[in-house]
Amino acid sequence: MIADRIQLLVLASVAIAVATVGYLRLGDRALNRLPQAWARRLVPWLFVGPALVAVGLVLVFPAISTVVLSLLNSNGTAFVGLDNYTSTLSNPVTQIALRNTALWVVLLPSLSVLVGLTIAVLVDRVAYGALVKAALFLPIAISAVAAGVIWTFMYDYQPPTANQTGTLNAIITTVPGTDPIAWIINEATNNYALIGATLWTQAGFAMIIFAAALRAIPEELQEAARLDGASEWKVFRHVTLPFLVPTVVVVMTTMTVIALKAFDIVYVMTNGRYGTDVLSTVMYRDLFTAKDNGVAGAVATILMVLVVPIMVFNLHQFRRESQKA
Amino acid sequence: MKVRSGALALVSACLVVTACSSSDSLKREKPTAPASVVDAAEAAALQAAGGKKVGGKVTMLGVLGGPELDAFKTVLAPFEKATGVDVQYEGTRDFAAVLQTQVDGGNPPDVVSTPAIGEMSGFAEKGELVDLRKVVGSDLLDANFSKSLLDTASVNGQVFGIFDTVDLGGLIWYDPQTYKGPTAPKSWAQLQAWAKQTARSGTTPWCVGLESGAASGWPAADWIDEILLHEAGPAFHKRWQEGKEPWTSPEVKKAFETYGGMVSDGMVYGGTTTALSTNFAKAANPMFASSPGCYLLQQATFMGGIITDGFPNLQPAKDLDFFPAPDFNPDYPAIRSVSGEIVGMINQTPQSVALVKYLATREAGTLIASTGRWLSPNKNVDQAIYRDPFLKKASGVLARAKGTYSLGNSLMPQTEVDAFWQAGLDYTKNPGDLDAILAKVEATR
Repeated sequence: MIADRIQLLVLASVAIAVATVGYLRLGDRALNRLPQAWARRLVPWLFVGPALVAVGLVLVFPAISTVVLSLLNSNGTAFVGLDNYTSTLSNPVTQIALRNTALWVVLLPSLSVLVGLTIAVLVDRVAYGALVKAALFLPIAISAVAAGVIWTFMYDYQPPTANQTGTLNAIITTVPGTDPIAWIINEATNNYALIGATLWTQAGFAMIIFAAALRAIPEELQEAARLDGASEWKVFRHVTLPFLVPTVVVVMTTMTVIALKAFDIVYVMTNGRYGTDVLSTVMYRDLFTAKDNGVAGAVATILMVLVVPIMVFNLHQFRRESQKA
Repeated sequence: MKVRSGALALVSACLVVTACSSSDSLKREKPTAPASVVDAAEAAALQAAGGKKVGGKVTMLGVLGGPELDAFKTVLAPFEKATGVDVQYEGTRDFAAVLQTQVDGGNPPDVVSTPAIGEMSGFAEKGELVDLRKVVGSDLLDANFSKSLLDTASVNGQVFGIFDTVDLGGLIWYDPQTYKGPTAPKSWAQLQAWAKQTARSGTTPWCVGLESGAASGWPAADWIDEILLHEAGPAFHKRWQEGKEPWTSPEVKKAFETYGGMVSDGMVYGGTTTALSTNFAKAANPMFASSPGCYLLQQATFMGGIITDGFPNLQPAKDLDFFPAPDFNPDYPAIRSVSGEIVGMINQTPQSVALVKYLATREAGTLIASTGRWLSPNKNVDQAIYRDPFLKKASGVLARAKGTYSLGNSLMPQTEVDAFWQAGLDYTKNPGDLDAILAKVEATR
């Protein structure tokens, strides 16, 4: 059984390599037969062709068909116009999800920047910095589902009379007179609890990006400022931070996209119960529970419309940076 | 019986799935089927395949994993050995989504096994499932299954599924060493009178856990469903499940309130916040603490396995036992609820037909019973095969029942079931909002 699979895998890898080389060889030879001007114009397309086909097949086509589905009824047999949009947007569940998604979009990027930047700046000044960095970076390697399970334990609730098995409640109940909090059930805390768990998985990423950006800042500038009598805060505020603005933008936009896509941690920890739904969990239920392709497509389209401008901005920023470099 | 289109899904899926997968440390003696039973099953399998080794394979999508899947595979093994057919079982907790994806992708499994009867009924109405009366034969079905079980998995006169495993619901589990209340209460009122008296003395009587991952709330929904069956009677219960009686009707409201009389601060261990945040599989833990935090737990037959997995030193009957839920309404005495998995066929191949035929035989049913995990749905199975004390007792309770019924939420569309689970949680959290909560479920119909 496994031998079969390995054989298949090897065969497939060889086939793909042969096909790629063959494609380029044959394409090149075909172009060489054309007049020079034509060949020069067509060469780039020879190289981007496969990528374009792949993107068209797995990205553009599904995106368009999702938008089309969102205009059809639940099983795609009749055109219903914008009904799916009006019905989902007037649904209190979607409204709560929109509210929560907004909360995620505000909190996750700003907290990631705050935590990532603070630690990246401070960590270089202490001897055990590498250890702190490693500790903050490790959660990136943990899958979101596992992170959800881990934080479910962290937020665990036991009645006040029993031993607290959840880390957070064990800590807060050491203060006399404090009752444990049901973090993911209590509506005053649960959305923040979920965002906190996601922050734990993402802050390390922000920190690494900031640490790299800090290295790129010419040390002479900071030193000159210090010699001129600037306080550490002023050095950071007026010398370091302006250099970091593009990095802040990159981290912010990346985190905003992650916040908009939030699904796994919410699905594992609450599945949207007690007012913690986000757009993706609403879409998942519309698709797999209610089996309504139309409404699910509408929610997906709303999500896409929210993400696209940020992606465009991000790409734009990236291009400007790479031109500068 | 007209089964509504749509889907149940995880309700009993959780009953079975979560139950099972949480029991990885199987300390209880693992019953093995007697050789004669296995031999008989092999003979039955060969006959089901038309007397020859057909070979090939069957793909099967189900909800089992861990020790439960191992147990189920011991039932499939004689079939594989006798017919040479390779049964490729794929277990998933997200059954509805996986099946839908495979069907949409044009690559459905040959056979499915699931507690989601409502879900399967939806597939059957769309003509995706094979009529088992035609391929398995009415003789075999009518000889081995009660009419009510066949009707439960029928739509438009076609049988789309046969039960392969059965759980008995509505049991009250207790520790005979510490529980001093009535073990054969005449009525729910009598049991609750004891519970209230215990609560007044400062100890919470009931152990409750409603958390179950993405399917949280099903323990509440199952019990409210059961209460409604007992209080309002099977006829009303059926009309409600079929959507002919609204969620906002006084009977449904009363069932929620009866549940609320049990699951409320002071009556449940740690209060309702603890009930909401405790996983159902760990609900019984305070019962076995050095000074018990609670004495009674309501759950179906499979809970015995979960508790003894967690506390392997417990002796069945001596340290852990159950009694069936007392009557809630003298008009409807001794009625019981059952849930279970049904097997349905999507692709009709010689191998899949042979497998479903085999699972319908008395010999395969006997093997199911001898796994010690499930009751067999097959009416010709010798009751002496149950060696597990809990199953033995449960099969006796079923035999004495005046009627057995499926829980409504195993037959409803999944959207409604989800809303029901949610309603169970919301009501536990905010009992004052009952009317709004019920209106919300009604809106999903």
